[in-house]
Amino acid sequence: MKKLVLLFALLAAPLATAQLLIDTPRGVVAAHDGRVELADRWRVDGVANATSIAASSDRVAVLDALHNEAVIVELASGRVTRVATAETPIAALFVSGELYVLARDARVLQHVGGASIPLAADPAFVRAANGRLYVYSRVDGVLEEIERDRVVRRATIAPFASDLEVDGANAYLLFPRDARVRVVDLRTLRVSDTLAAGAVPVDVALAGGGSALTAPILAVADPSAKRVWLTEGTQSMTQAVARGFLRGVLGLGLFANRSSEFPTGIDRVVARGSRWLAYDSSSGTLYRVTRQKSTVVATGIAPGAYALTAGGIAFWQNGRVRIVP
Amino acid sequence: MRRVLLLLALSSSLLAESRIASDFELAQMEKQLATAHGFEAQLSGHANLGDVRAARNEPSLASREYRTAYDLAARERLDARRDAQLARYATATSYAALAAAKLHRDAEAFAFAEEAVRYASDDAETWNLYASAMRILGYPRKAVSAARNAVTLAKKPLDVAVDQYALATALLDSGESAEAETLLVKLTESLRSERFASLRNDVARQESFEIYSSAHGDVAAYVSLLNRAQLRLARLYEERGRNELARRTYERVLDARSDDATALAGLARLATSSDERERRFAEAFEANPFDRELVAQYRAFLHSSARATPASNGSTGSEVRRAIAQLVRGESRAARETLDALLAKFPANETLRTLRVEAEHANASIAALPSPNPTAAELRALRDGYDALAPEQRVALDAMTFTSLATFESAQVANAQTTLASGTIYGVAFRFSEPTIFAGTFDTSAPLRLTYRILGVTRAGDEDALLLEPVRVEGGR
Repeated sequence: MKKLVLLFALLAAPLATAQLLIDTPRGVVAAHDGRVELADRWRVDGVANATSIAASSDRVAVLDALHNEAVIVELASGRVTRVATAETPIAALFVSGELYVLARDARVLQHVGGASIPLAADPAFVRAANGRLYVYSRVDGVLEEIERDRVVRRATIAPFASDLEVDGANAYLLFPRDARVRVVDLRTLRVSDTLAAGAVPVDVALAGGGSALTAPILAVADPSAKRVWLTEGTQSMTQAVARGFLRGVLGLGLFANRSSEFPTGIDRVVARGSRWLAYDSSSGTLYRVTRQKSTVVATGIAPGAYALTAGGIAFWQNGRVRIVP
Repeated sequence: MRRVLLLLALSSSLLAESRIASDFELAQMEKQLATAHGFEAQLSGHANLGDVRAARNEPSLASREYRTAYDLAARERLDARRDAQLARYATATSYAALAAAKLHRDAEAFAFAEEAVRYASDDAETWNLYASAMRILGYPRKAVSAARNAVTLAKKPLDVAVDQYALATALLDSGESAEAETLLVKLTESLRSERFASLRNDVARQESFEIYSSAHGDVAAYVSLLNRAQLRLARLYEERGRNELARRTYERVLDARSDDATALAGLARLATSSDERERRFAEAFEANPFDRELVAQYRAFLHSSARATPASNGSTGSEVRRAIAQLVRGESRAARETLDALLAKFPANETLRTLRVEAEHANASIAALPSPNPTAAELRALRDGYDALAPEQRVALDAMTFTSLATFESAQVANAQTTLASGTIYGVAFRFSEPTIFAGTFDTSAPLRLTYRILGVTRAGDEDALLLEPVRVEGGR
């Protein structure tokens, strides 16, 4: 029986069904079936094919990368603003209340209501830290720092990273082919460290740590090894001295032997504080991950149709948002 | 993987351009597929068959092949993930994107394409397939961007050429024809240059000329790529009114393959005489009788040239031309007969079905019965719409007599009697149900005044004719 259930789950890989969830101060917002919905508050027309979602304290933005459109919805009222974007808007980000949209095939970062900032070839990821935006372009392997709608610094790191995360001090670029995380010091915009990261890592999340005395923890999804690797990001000299050692390569740090195994592999990982989720795009399986074990939360879930909330795990299943502790 | 990918990438532009595959060739392809092993061979086989079916305007059969390709790719994705082989997973996901695109599942194709580049953004083929999927779905700017990445990443000369072709076609779809032309000129010159001499020798040695949407090996890829690139360039020249360059480029295509339907149709459009145009169209129809664009162009040609219905040599191409000519001449009954015979051989063909519907609907155009002295237009309308007459119209028609000046084809005169059988009234053919003897001697070198009833529509030689019951014949004045 178990085999049958697993087979069903594998065949139900819901890559194309576009439901996206995001946690906001007013609750979980879902984009689904051409609508955007905040349960029990409002339900408005969205985009035809929701591909990405972002939220601020008072707004949510839903992108349709296929049709080059964005809808922005005010959380309090459900009031909608529609925006035509440049070609293929793949990511959005609110910074100090301003919305930025990364339009990959137009090679621009659009400040909605402001400037369009030209970028290097194949801009794939945008992140924010310290009031600045960081865009990584895959084919050129370039990391660009943007301030006041201008590229103020640009550094060639290496091409073909599969993910980017930034904290206040560093950017972490994940490279599947050589199974490395390159750590870029945001002060110098230079690679300060290179960390081993499993066999074929494809997704990275900042998973806690990063205090005055501890290095940030990186959770790395490695579908080839069918594991989430936990490793430390670069620690400052102060942190290292305070703890009495310098971190070594993967497996020699704090979290040796604490990786989790997944039957079908996982390729996405998200974190909120010390809580982590892992996801397998091929089977649509969502896992809860701790340092000790992993458990299946749900199957048949679309990529992006889940979120970590203050109260638990939200996911879209059977036509509605479910939240489990 | 490599060559399969190359040709799938080409396939999006093949649909309306391919030479038609005969039933025999299709059977051969299906036989090859039955013995093919492995994901790539199976997938390319089904995608190829789907493209061939689509080129034959058999969309339901094409969809069936694409669905099979899609299912294969979906299974391969899961197997690859289970086996922790991520390059294989990325490849299968790219193919899933392409198959989904061919099935017009836009959102799904986009999601698969994005998933593939998450794993293989450093892979030219992945971007090439991304571009192909977006072109099929009608998102040319996305295709341009993906194809640019592919060109940047490709290393081997033939791979670069394939990606340049993908970029050029996407640029054309985006309306950026200046850059596309530059690329196509560079590409076709490169393919004919010394750089590819060794490959050309292999082509000659293997006597390779088939244009597949999916095939294995550099030779097949080279042949297909050169063919497509030249056709694209020729069409671009033609659109820009550079007819001599266009003609030369189409002729280069024919140097490699004399039955290329697209090149022949291009040369027909560029022909300077009506006879040459008819000849080129005939050749094009022999190569692909079901191409909708070709049908439309031939129809326009017939409208403008008022040519006679072409003689059929029994081939499918000539029969389709004949049906089109019959439709143009308003001979819907004859067209229906021709098309019904063709549909018996090609029951899933959408081009034939469309023409058949048209022939059927031509009947519905009759609004009123002819006047007592009918005009040519009234008689033609009745002939073409006879089958669609309402029952009360038929009753009314049976009670009516008409009088017209009729030109008889021949007459037999004997014993002060004249036997008449058939002729034309204002160019509209008619015949009696049987030769009829009239008292008196009539000179049929001039029109005679014929009073008649209309019984129906029949065939007279090669065309539709009114079936008449004569009431009387008088000398014409």
